[in-house]
Amino acid sequence: MNATPGHSPVKSIMPRWVRGPQDFVGGIALMAIALFALWASSDLQGMRGFSFGAGTAPRMFAFLLLGLGAAVTVVGVLTEGAHLAKYHWRGPLFVTLAILTFAVTIRPMGMIFAAMTSFMIAACGTPETRWTETFIVGVCLTTFCSLLFPYALGLPLQLLPSFLIR
Amino acid sequence: MGDLFSNLGLGFGVVFQLVQWSPAFLGGASIPIPVNILLCLIGALVGTLVGVLPGIGTIATVAMLLPITFGLPPVGALIMLAGIYYGAQYGGSTTSILVNIPGEAGSVVTALDGFQMAKQGRAGPALAIAAIGSFFAGCVATVLIAVLGAPLTKLALAFGPAEYFSLMVLGLIFAVVLAKGSVLKAIAMIVFGLLLSMVGSDIETGASRMAFNIPELADGLGFATVAMGLFGFAEIIRNLDAGGETDRKLVQEKVSGLMPTVRDLKDSTPAILRGTALGSILGILPGGGAVIASFAAYTLEKKISKNPSRFGRGAIEGVAAPESANNAAAQTSFIPLLTLGIPPNAVMALMVGAMTIHGIVPGPQVMQKQPELVWGMIASMWVGNLMLLIINLPLVGIWVRLLRVPYRLMFPAIVVFCCIGIYSVNNAPTDVMLAGGFGLLGYWLIKHDFEPAPLLLGMVLGPLMEENLRRALLISRGDWSVFLTRPLSAVLMVLAAALLVLAILPSLRKKRDEVFVESEN
Repeated sequence: MNATPGHSPVKSIMPRWVRGPQDFVGGIALMAIALFALWASSDLQGMRGFSFGAGTAPRMFAFLLLGLGAAVTVVGVLTEGAHLAKYHWRGPLFVTLAILTFAVTIRPMGMIFAAMTSFMIAACGTPETRWTETFIVGVCLTTFCSLLFPYALGLPLQLLPSFLIR
Repeated sequence: MGDLFSNLGLGFGVVFQLVQWSPAFLGGASIPIPVNILLCLIGALVGTLVGVLPGIGTIATVAMLLPITFGLPPVGALIMLAGIYYGAQYGGSTTSILVNIPGEAGSVVTALDGFQMAKQGRAGPALAIAAIGSFFAGCVATVLIAVLGAPLTKLALAFGPAEYFSLMVLGLIFAVVLAKGSVLKAIAMIVFGLLLSMVGSDIETGASRMAFNIPELADGLGFATVAMGLFGFAEIIRNLDAGGETDRKLVQEKVSGLMPTVRDLKDSTPAILRGTALGSILGILPGGGAVIASFAAYTLEKKISKNPSRFGRGAIEGVAAPESANNAAAQTSFIPLLTLGIPPNAVMALMVGAMTIHGIVPGPQVMQKQPELVWGMIASMWVGNLMLLIINLPLVGIWVRLLRVPYRLMFPAIVVFCCIGIYSVNNAPTDVMLAGGFGLLGYWLIKHDFEPAPLLLGMVLGPLMEENLRRALLISRGDWSVFLTRPLSAVLMVLAAALLVLAILPSLRKKRDEVFVESEN
């Protein structure tokens, strides 16, 4: 989506006439999403007589969102509001990285590898991590998950890397 | 009346159903096992376990635990989910009383007086009263669902597409009016959710909409995926921001003396009664639910109390009323879902997601075609509440110990657990990536003070709304006035418009904000 966390906001980049930067930026982002949706649904058929085409409802909602986004932006300009919140990079980065790692490795490498790796990557998300302790907990969790999901719950999850099975 | 008893009888029959279990090691002998009760018990336990973790609310808990019910038969899965839901709620109140970190919005007010009581060494009575109040509210709400279920289903049969559409509009407006924060932003979130629900194939023509030829998107955005991203991952990321451990003021004293005194009971009985009544009513309203019920109950108690200054300093009524209201509303909010097929709030939206995964489309037909499912679930609610009362009081010590597990170990485990959960829905790695993306989106929304709950509600109602809107307009041959000329639909629309106007009126806005601000001081 259009959300781009990670850029650290500097108050001075906002012009003085914006009284509520939080709403101002939020509203603009919503408008961008709405425009994106309008573009994405532009190839769909519209109204045919009085019956809806595939594109009617998406465009309707997109226009509504565009209007609402504009209203939020206007509110951000006119009324005194909160400043942009501070973004942190460490948590979002490592948690997202862990999720991506899991998604990429689960098929070829199996669940044991994927769970353990993403556990360790996610643990980087906070400076408080102590590695020995984290490693032990990671092993326990991986064992627990390997027993719970495929065996206790009967879900079709592959535990080992596929090159070992073939 | 006879119907009521036979229905409840059917329900309890389903819940207490015994399944003969003949394991190999017994050599042919079989033991009867009450499977559904066990599922309810496990659900309540696991729900509490996850709900107790600070910073994880009811929605996140249910979303995270959804996958563990996939392997079960539909009845068992729904009974277990109901157990998880109550467990999660009770877990939320335990954390707010003991640590002053409400796991979810519904127990914010419980923290006000509950934590004060805990500081005075009266955590035991506070927890006990919360459980007793919840149980009583649960009993009343169960009966209420049984009484109202059948007549409302008949009403539902009189509903045409136009009425359904209007009812959903009313529900969404209710959700906006009763939500915290800016009305405008809440509406924007709902529309955003509606827009997201449009991704996928068109129901009538099958045309692919905004799917960019990604095969995994052809079926639309998975509901569990979005919920887990917006509530699971986003919460984790946000908690990491806060620095996890720094603001955890755990009550270090041992929780001793669970039993409330006679005076406590006498003080809290009227509060429980009032909370239950208020909660039951607010729960039925579309868009209502547990959060507003607990706020309203607390405010009411404070208003009618002879000595309002006691509130916020450990008044037991301040725990009893919101907890009962919270639970009553949580339960009666099943009524619109089971009878009309319309989820009144985000948690119920998740329930719809779960039902759909099991091939059940909630609505009036379910009541008639699968009565054992509906009544079994209703009966299991009561059983679930009983379980909470029985298992949680002795287990308080364990929950307290769980709270001492540092967040630095807890959050990677939750991340992994969520990943496996999402992956197991469709065995699709793309779903996991999407959930990660929604996690970032959720983080961004929180940073900009947008509530993700209305988004979720909009997303579930989106396809239903579109379908009914299209049908209504097709029947009326393109005449938009159909929503105002059909009497039932017109009433609903007028109500929705009136509510919206009221919410925007400055005087009422101020009152509404006061209710929420009160909880923050």
